[in-house]
Amino acid sequence: MSALGQALAIAKKDLRIEVRGRHVAGTILPFAGTLLIAFGLSLGPGRSLLRQTAPGLLWLAVLFASVLAFRQAYQAEGEDGAFESLILAPIDKASVFLGKAAAVVVELLALEAVVVGLVVVLFDLPVGHAPVVLAGAFVLGTIGLAVVGSLFGALAEMPRTREAIFPLLVLPLCTPVLVAGVKATELATTGPAGQAGSWLGLLLAFDVVVTGVGSLLFVYLVED
Amino acid sequence: MASLTDPDALLDEHKPDAGRTGAAPAVQLRAITRVFGVAPALVRVDLRVEAGEVLLLRGPNGAGKSTLLGVIATAISPTYGSGTVFGLDLVAGRDEIRRRSELVGHRTRLYEDLSATENLRFVCALHGADERRVDPALERVGLAPVAGDRVRGYSQGMRQRVALARAFLRSPDLLLLDEPYAGLDDPAKDLVDEEIRATRARGGTVIVATHDPTRGSAATRSLYMDGGRLLPELRRAAR
Amino acid sequence: MSTAERLMSSLTARRGERVLAWLAVGAVGVSAVLSLVASPPDAEQGGLIRLMYVHVPAAWVAYLAFAVVFVASVAYLRTRKTRWDRVAAASAEVGVLFTALTIVLGSIWAKPVWGTWWTWDPRLTTTAILLVIYVGYLAVRRLPDNPARRARWAAVVGIVGFVDVPIVHLSVRWWRSLHQAPARLIGVPDVSGSMGVALGVGFIAFTLVYLYFMALRLRVGRLEERVVAEALSPRIGQPAEALMEEPARG
Repeated sequence: MSALGQALAIAKKDLRIEVRGRHVAGTILPFAGTLLIAFGLSLGPGRSLLRQTAPGLLWLAVLFASVLAFRQAYQAEGEDGAFESLILAPIDKASVFLGKAAAVVVELLALEAVVVGLVVVLFDLPVGHAPVVLAGAFVLGTIGLAVVGSLFGALAEMPRTREAIFPLLVLPLCTPVLVAGVKATELATTGPAGQAGSWLGLLLAFDVVVTGVGSLLFVYLVED
Repeated sequence: MASLTDPDALLDEHKPDAGRTGAAPAVQLRAITRVFGVAPALVRVDLRVEAGEVLLLRGPNGAGKSTLLGVIATAISPTYGSGTVFGLDLVAGRDEIRRRSELVGHRTRLYEDLSATENLRFVCALHGADERRVDPALERVGLAPVAGDRVRGYSQGMRQRVALARAFLRSPDLLLLDEPYAGLDDPAKDLVDEEIRATRARGGTVIVATHDPTRGSAATRSLYMDGGRLLPELRRAAR
Repeated sequence: MSTAERLMSSLTARRGERVLAWLAVGAVGVSAVLSLVASPPDAEQGGLIRLMYVHVPAAWVAYLAFAVVFVASVAYLRTRKTRWDRVAAASAEVGVLFTALTIVLGSIWAKPVWGTWWTWDPRLTTTAILLVIYVGYLAVRRLPDNPARRARWAAVVGIVGFVDVPIVHLSVRWWRSLHQAPARLIGVPDVSGSMGVALGVGFIAFTLVYLYFMALRLRVGRLEERVVAEALSPRIGQPAEALMEEPARG
């Protein structure tokens, strides 16, 4: 089977686990919602402040959700040692990296659709101005989060690893996604959407670089 | 000492290349050492296993049996030393070795939220095997009635049967079994023996690590491990 | 590669280490005289400008150190030679030290000049993120007890971290340009004449200090490896020297 087919098989398997276990839908999504409410409470009821900070809060919620999604995705591999089977399969290890990233992209995009809806309701964020730009920002940003998470999630699931190491690595490395995602969302909602192009370009560049580097390096994290 | 009662066994082990010709051996290890931190799990292990052999590895817990199987399965890389499986280098030939071998380990390596059938179908997808073999394999280990249930609800014994079914459906040239009898009832233990015989019958090689003294009747040879070293076991002890 | 390795081993010999120490101390002394006495006070900032002579070279060393981590990480994954892992480990530790120093010195400088300890200037922000990334790198180095695995994991983080830095910087710069710049933000002063000389000597002095720290840390790394080899040697019946040789893999 081609590397792409293998990656698809792995992504399909992960999505099936999510459909069965409802980890993202049942735990991570409510968590993201709780975060948004907590943000709102901590900032006070001022309408304009909430509206102004909404893109940032939205992306913070997505960022934390992505960290949890990858903990979950790799826990499913670790519970009964299934990850070893994956490593011992005669496949290109980059397909494991890409497959797990792809599954989480799908899960996160579904989660984001709900979270954006929540932000519209809670923070009065207008999302109708430039839906294509907004969607582009979320798709490209989510891919960026997913490739970083897929790479280092593998490391966090290895024996004798401490859990906190994963967010410690992922959050600073994802700074460009956070910044560009927030800015593009701002421009797509309240600003001139036409200026979002360079931010989307930055997100795309991040995706391409990390996907490439991750595909090359993933094997060094998982092989003994 | 073993050498006093059975010098031939020692000779076989310490001159792995002596007087043998023909096809590449199933397993050939030279001075394999594996270290975890400062604890050596394997110490200069030499081993030659011919194709078609059923080798029994005995020895106490922590003797290095699992690490040795892990090295042969290419799950664990040796710190020092080198080796081949089917003439393929343990590192350079990794993928081909993996294609032709199956390790049944302590952990059953299943996805908890998938059913037995889905787990095995995924194995087929990874190994390019025919999915139609899944149902007969589960039938064979007696799990057909519960094959659609999530693995999370399975007992340890049932999980091990799924792992065994995975070996059935892959029918590898080299089958590595790590304590396959532990936690199994007698019918399931018989399944393990059946799988060993079936592998041998089609010309495959089997290495079994076990400290269950009642099992291993199918073995053609038996070795003893202790402290990360491989020692020849007395022939009469193997009987 | 072999030239680099030879240079490295001569730097890390005891004699090379002592020579480096004296060179570094001398250069720091000269740099102190030049920056504190010989160079003129700045028209706007007065004596505060003298912080530049330590702040900017410290930042240079921080980036140099992480570039070395990157190169050594790539070299380790390509060659699997443990010396490259030692270089990466040493350089990351020194780099984190100098990054922290850069931020502290920058804050001390910013308070009287800009009236604030911190501003979300792109360079400052990038440097702060850099610090967190490499603190994460050092945390990864503490995880596995198997040296080969630790080296591989660290190398991956060392490569990804360094590749990420330019993108981080770009994103932060664009982000910043959309905000109003603080009114009193003063850029890098015009550096020329004796100021240029003082800054140049500062660069040399800090680079020598970096090399000296590297030499020390590399020796510690070798000693650590020897301790492991000595502990292992009787257990697997091989002389420690043989174990110190680069293992093929594992």
